[in-house]
Amino acid sequence: MIKFYNASKIYPVDVRALNKINLHIKPGEFVSIVGQSGTGKTTMVKTLIGEERIDEGKVVVGGWDITDIKENEIPILRRQIGVIFQDFKLLPKKTLFENVAFAMQVCNGSPSKIRKIVPQVMKIVGLDSKMDRYPFEVSGGEQQRATIARALVHRPKILLADEPTGNLDSLNAHEIIELLLRINRFGTTIVLVTHNREIVNGLKRRVITLDNGMVISDQAVGKYIL
Amino acid sequence: MFIALLRVVKFSLQDIYRNIWLSLVTIMILVLSLFTVNMLLVVKVVGDTAVEAIKEKIDINLFLKTSAEENEILALKAKVSNLSEVKDVTYISKAQALENFKSKHTDNPEVLEALKVLGTNPLSPTLVIKPKNLESFDNLINELNSFDDQIIESRNFSNYKAMLEKINGITTKVYDAGLVLSIIFVAITLLVIYNSARVAMYTHRREITIMRLVGASKKFIQMPYLLSSIIYAMISVLIIMVIFYLFLHLLQPYLEAFFVGYNVNLIQYFFGNGLKIFGSQFLAAGIINLIASYLAVRKYAKV
Repeated sequence: MIKFYNASKIYPVDVRALNKINLHIKPGEFVSIVGQSGTGKTTMVKTLIGEERIDEGKVVVGGWDITDIKENEIPILRRQIGVIFQDFKLLPKKTLFENVAFAMQVCNGSPSKIRKIVPQVMKIVGLDSKMDRYPFEVSGGEQQRATIARALVHRPKILLADEPTGNLDSLNAHEIIELLLRINRFGTTIVLVTHNREIVNGLKRRVITLDNGMVISDQAVGKYIL
Repeated sequence: MFIALLRVVKFSLQDIYRNIWLSLVTIMILVLSLFTVNMLLVVKVVGDTAVEAIKEKIDINLFLKTSAEENEILALKAKVSNLSEVKDVTYISKAQALENFKSKHTDNPEVLEALKVLGTNPLSPTLVIKPKNLESFDNLINELNSFDDQIIESRNFSNYKAMLEKINGITTKVYDAGLVLSIIFVAITLLVIYNSARVAMYTHRREITIMRLVGASKKFIQMPYLLSSIIYAMISVLIIMVIFYLFLHLLQPYLEAFFVGYNVNLIQYFFGNGLKIFGSQFLAAGIINLIASYLAVRKYAKV
């Protein structure tokens, strides 16, 4: 599903955010990418959504070589990859329903399709009873659930979660991870970028550890080793 | 496609509404620019009318001796008519001149009394010559001066050309100054629109980030801001139409008083050619705004 071949991202002056990365994430996997700050985790996420381009090597997503992806192809790529971040990036003046619907509206989704799909994904994330609430009216965990719902509306093959629990207490963090696992069971590939040792150790899934832009460990059932 | 268009319109109107003060300032600057351009047009129309009015009055009088025979006068008239610089020659006989004089001084009994006391018709027959155009005016004067006909008593060659050149000079200077002012306003408009689009994108940075993340196309992200700039142009042209209608309404009586006997109707001119005048202004303002907005969105709304 995701393949990095000797991929390097070099920032001026000769700072290698990614350094000859080689990895292969299979469809339906749940992979945690761990590492200290500045080790290249976010650069990897940005590369996967076409926000950054690698300078050396090759990146393939779902069989599509995105190494030299054209600007007009980026939106197509992003509709196949859901992304969630530490800051929820919800629009404060829109209800949770409207926030999720917004993702479809801006991608030319028809009103009937929006009316059908949004309640479905809201139900998946457990917010079907709070669709009319504004972001400030719900907890941080529920806000993150709404962003997951928004990421799911295009039925992505991959869900990238960049520190999704960074702003949450342990209970809400646990619930979000449970939700990600549930989505993974539906067949969506999950790439979780995190600092949270407890979560990684509790998952008992594949763990890739980055240091200085390089993969220093790749364990099938791994632990947080740093 | 239609839904996408509707959403672009909705986001554009949202953009204008959420930055209402900035939108108002933008529109005000545009209105000022358009006002300057339209004032230039007024100067041009008034200037042209003044020049035409003077051109109408240009004629050259050849005063003939009272003793001149009719056949001699008609021969001279034919000779003058044959000149290439002449448009038209009118012969005013002594009797006709007297009639004209009387009707001109009909409110002045003293003059009419003096004429009665005189007993005879003291007025000379005249040839009134209209030149073909202003450029050949000097040549015509030279030609007429070269005529050595015994029946010519005197020649009246007022220097209308100098007057016309003066008026042309003034209108050209006013026009040039207006042109410079317009260019300055166009430059200000470009900067203001550019800045408006930039601020609008800053206000909507969160929406733009989300749009990018969820896979909205570049066109969809940028279109609302480009459309806003067109809407600004449209509103500004509508406002300037109202302002100019009122302004011309106030100006018209003064113009009519100044150009008595001439048809100077600026309201008719502006609104008779409304589609051409205001349509082209909308087109020009729209293009300028589009360029400024496009430069801003290209720089600040990257996908």
